[in-house]
Amino acid sequence: MGNCLKGSSTDDLSPLRNAETTSETTTSEQPWIPYREVNPGGPIFYPSPGISCSVNQLSEEDQVKIAKKLGFIQHLPTGTYDGCKKNRECVICMIEFIVGDPVRYLPCLHIYHKKCIDAWLMRSFTCPSCMEPVDAALLTSYETK
Amino acid sequence: MAGLSPSERRLQKELMSLMKEPPPGMEVDSDKAEQNLNLWTIHMKGAEGTLYDGEEFQLQFKFGPKYPFDSPEVTFIGNNIPVHPHVYSNGHICLSILTDDWSPALSVQSVCLSIVSMLSSCKEKKRPPDNTFYVKTCNKNPKKTKWWYHDDSV
Repeated sequence: MGNCLKGSSTDDLSPLRNAETTSETTTSEQPWIPYREVNPGGPIFYPSPGISCSVNQLSEEDQVKIAKKLGFIQHLPTGTYDGCKKNRECVICMIEFIVGDPVRYLPCLHIYHKKCIDAWLMRSFTCPSCMEPVDAALLTSYETK
Repeated sequence: MAGLSPSERRLQKELMSLMKEPPPGMEVDSDKAEQNLNLWTIHMKGAEGTLYDGEEFQLQFKFGPKYPFDSPEVTFIGNNIPVHPHVYSNGHICLSILTDDWSPALSVQSVCLSIVSMLSSCKEKKRPPDNTFYVKTCNKNPKKTKWWYHDDSV
């Protein structure tokens, strides 16, 4: 049943850039930079899906949230695509994996191009394929260290 | 497909597969979509044996530059808007996958299938109870509506 309070979600049109601070394993053969746009005013963050703002618009709470997200994302294992037949294409960009593509593994074992999934995880901590939350399992392993 | 943004590349791919293997009862207006990759019209038939059997609808998909990270804007258009408890008379659809539960693994095809199944499970054709008020006051973009999803049965 639909109910419909007019919301004020900030769906802006400004060109955006993801918070991409993970610099490990960037290979040189990447003319295509999936879903990463450049914002002249500085990096843009997505405190929640559909909401984007630049650093100076973020509340302190959101800044902490984003810093945590970045930390969690970096703790998710990465690798390169090994030609495994089970996963043929990245469901985010719908492009077939090529052996050697940088990929990231989620706890549910779904894999994606690293850049594709990182851009999504900054918006929502769920697996796009199974909607399994990514952080529950991660939180425990991360915090007990 | 050189020169296309990742979002356009994905849309192009989805368009091709929808043209080649359309789900039953659905047809994408490919001329229109090829002209403007960010605005598609899909013709949809009500499923057989349901309250919408024999009816035809048109769905409009608007894609932003951040698709598939942001969901498309999906509305019914044309002169036959299905009468359904989750479909407002201006074509807006209250369906959680179009906002809160969107995932980039969803596609035009999966959204269409969800909408057909939403229609198919309907037991009584009626408008949402707040239709008049909503249609009068809502934003043109259904994604700006703060939807309350509280009935999964229909």
